[in-house]
Amino acid sequence: MTGANGSDVVTRLIDAIGAERVLGAPEDLAAYAFDAFCEGALPAAVVLPNDARDVSAVVRIARECGEPIVPRGAGTGLCGGAIPSNGGVVLSFARMNRVLSLDAENRRARVQPGLVNLDLSKQIEGHGLFFGPDPSSQKTSTIGGNTATNAGGPHAFAYGSMSAHVLGIEFVDDAGDVLYVSIDDAGYDLTGALVGSEGTLGVVTAVDVRLLRAPRAIRVCVAAFGDVESASAAVSAIVAAGLTPTALEIIDRTIVQAVEAHFHAGFPLDAGAVLLVEIAGEPADVDAWDRTLAGVAREHGALSWRSATSAREREALWASRKGAAGALGRIAPNYYIQDATVPRTKLPLALAQIEAIARDHELLVGNVFHAGDGNLHPLLLFDRRVARQLEAVAHAGHDILAACIELGGTISGEHGIGSEKRESLPLVFNDADLATMARLRDVFDVARNFNPDKIFPAGAVCGEVRAAQANLAVPLPAGAWL
Amino acid sequence: MAVSDAVYALGGSAPAAVFSPRDAAETATRLRECDDAGRAVVLFGGNTLQALANDPARYDVAIDLRGLDRIVDYEPRDLTIGVEAGLTVGAFDAALAEHGQFVPLDVPRAAVATIGGTLASGWLGPRRAAYGRARDFVIGTTVALADGTLAKSGGMVVKNVSGYDLSKLYVGSFGTLGAIVRANFKTVPLPQTRRIALASLPEGTRGHAVANVAALDLEPVAALVIRGFTEIDGRDAPEGRMLLLFEGSERSVERATRESRSALGAAGVPETRLIDRDAPATFARVLDAYVALLGTQSTTYRSVGLPSDLSARVACALRAARANELGLETIEDLRTGDLIARVSGTTGAGFDARLTGFEAERRETLPGARVLAAAPQSRASLDAFCSPPASLAKMRALKARFDPRGTLSPGRFVGGI
Repeated sequence: MTGANGSDVVTRLIDAIGAERVLGAPEDLAAYAFDAFCEGALPAAVVLPNDARDVSAVVRIARECGEPIVPRGAGTGLCGGAIPSNGGVVLSFARMNRVLSLDAENRRARVQPGLVNLDLSKQIEGHGLFFGPDPSSQKTSTIGGNTATNAGGPHAFAYGSMSAHVLGIEFVDDAGDVLYVSIDDAGYDLTGALVGSEGTLGVVTAVDVRLLRAPRAIRVCVAAFGDVESASAAVSAIVAAGLTPTALEIIDRTIVQAVEAHFHAGFPLDAGAVLLVEIAGEPADVDAWDRTLAGVAREHGALSWRSATSAREREALWASRKGAAGALGRIAPNYYIQDATVPRTKLPLALAQIEAIARDHELLVGNVFHAGDGNLHPLLLFDRRVARQLEAVAHAGHDILAACIELGGTISGEHGIGSEKRESLPLVFNDADLATMARLRDVFDVARNFNPDKIFPAGAVCGEVRAAQANLAVPLPAGAWL
Repeated sequence: MAVSDAVYALGGSAPAAVFSPRDAAETATRLRECDDAGRAVVLFGGNTLQALANDPARYDVAIDLRGLDRIVDYEPRDLTIGVEAGLTVGAFDAALAEHGQFVPLDVPRAAVATIGGTLASGWLGPRRAAYGRARDFVIGTTVALADGTLAKSGGMVVKNVSGYDLSKLYVGSFGTLGAIVRANFKTVPLPQTRRIALASLPEGTRGHAVANVAALDLEPVAALVIRGFTEIDGRDAPEGRMLLLFEGSERSVERATRESRSALGAAGVPETRLIDRDAPATFARVLDAYVALLGTQSTTYRSVGLPSDLSARVACALRAARANELGLETIEDLRTGDLIARVSGTTGAGFDARLTGFEAERRETLPGARVLAAAPQSRASLDAFCSPPASLAKMRALKARFDPRGTLSPGRFVGGI
């Protein structure tokens, strides 16, 4: 499909957008065939739009040329959500990266999709405001990408994922028309339906976001536990007791050692697991909660409890938590990060099963995850040059998803389905469920031009959803680069 | 039609049949039968918020979902709960409170309102600025579509990006896409303390008081300026009453009380009354007032907008009311920006004509306002939703794809959907 139309679509895009913002040479395109974990196919073209009008023109041209559209933020996705599957035009939002307007009084802002998540919080902190969702990739990932995947991060525990923070969306539909929807519109909540739709319903060109007032005091506490099961039992107890810290993160021994060697943030090296607790609110409340939480943690086997009160200490702890995956190079050449969610009381059970699955496949596993939300991120460590390990990782990844579903959980908490997990979606939803979801897609993109080959299992068109296969394919795309 | 079926009448027409299914499967079967037979269906819960939608264009069958009233799945330690749609909000709240939890739905008449109706109506409560909207607490739904399909989305976990979040579409859809038969929520721990601070605002103090409240360090979870609506607290004041609801630890509520008292005092407000034990009951009366009629001579609107333009919208409502010789009561929600406006006839005659005049003017000046309560004889002349958004074509397509035969609540929604 790409070959014949490839040069044609590039020519037409250059005519419409200008040569300097259209890439068509294979060496330029190669960088856009990847996200952070998967390799897809080369796109036919890459366009860097300046505004919604550019996007509209690109959507129309692509449609006329029979090329799919693949929107792309920073490419930090971990499940192949932003990679082309078969030619197509990649829309990269690198140039649409500004805060368009800030309305501090009403605590909202309109931003472009290419704005980097952390840049948003930086640009508004002078007004005593911040943005709630903070995925670990926040230094590079974009608001557009965060919107597409309904991203969360450590603070989703307190503030909710993206969908609770998106007030309105400007997007280009499959006809190339620019539309604006808001959660305050009369009628269906199209805004809510667009968040988390992974670029399959339209191309987002601006996002109205809700901003939060910065708390007066913030404290991060670090507790050491003998093992990851007791740390997660403590988290379950904290949540069940009605305590409301703003983040509850667990890092196991494997990851702590790598992180500490890299960042020197002061995590206890002898611990089997570390629990990171953030408390925010009134200074007096923070003091009281610190004591209460320490008590609950000790009751559940905490070996130590340290409170970091200075901003510098706090930032160092968060930097090492969010940079954890990057520090893993010290342990193994490659890692594969999984994303699954279980009910919070099932955390200790899920972790024990993950450990057992890794052992069965003779793999080393590390865990660093959003414990307060039951959102697991097991990291399978391996060497891709060893063929047997590569295969083992794929199978272990699948087994972990199956175990989480068995415990009442689901296959993605914040990364999305992308191309990686599309064949696993029928493990969670039956044909009727998926066919109903496909009805929404029919309304927005009946031709399946927007980010095709994502979310839905292959063969799922117009409501005819393939039955869940008994012999489920390994949940990695053929081109996964691990 | 049996006499008891009169409660299902809408816009002067009563249904030919009323069904009361006991579970999701039976609901789906009834819907499919109606769909096959070309009979138009309206779904019923507690019948408390039907005025938020238009009267149906066609109406053959009422399906009353109150028989689906089970708590299906509640693991308090997970802070999640799954319930059937016909459960009353009162029973839902009570079950959660037993375990020290809540979901801030803030719906009027909670004892009779159902979970399904609350969600379907897209109800917006005053505490949403602090806690989020009902939609933000829904983590999964099961819906019966017109063709009898039972379909779920989301699940029982608090973070989930597995497939489309269709729950967002069903919340606020007034049953035009399908019947919500089950909803799963994430819950929140109940605050240690709730307190209402209530102050009458003397002449000339409103602006100053509003500004000082906005600058409070410890924000109230709801901040309302109420004029009229005396059923709430039995009194009125020259510039209304300021009602602040504080929730949190005893320590922070104490401090918030002190600071808000001095902030109001500095604005020239002499006295602030504190309500502790009766705070929930007082707050419930506020919510009830949102949909309460003053006899048959009143209509209540909600205008959603930015907090910063609240005063301008109040002025618009006042102008339109005065021009048409109607009384006006308002609740200004300082945190969410909602304006609740109840217009009423002060004399017996000519209310409908004056309401028509008010309608015409407010369509110009308050185009986003929606109806919250209206007397049956006034409803025909009102559009509950007013101006449809630019995305109406998409909404129509969505309706056509989910309910191609127009079985579900035809004509009740935006733009005649």
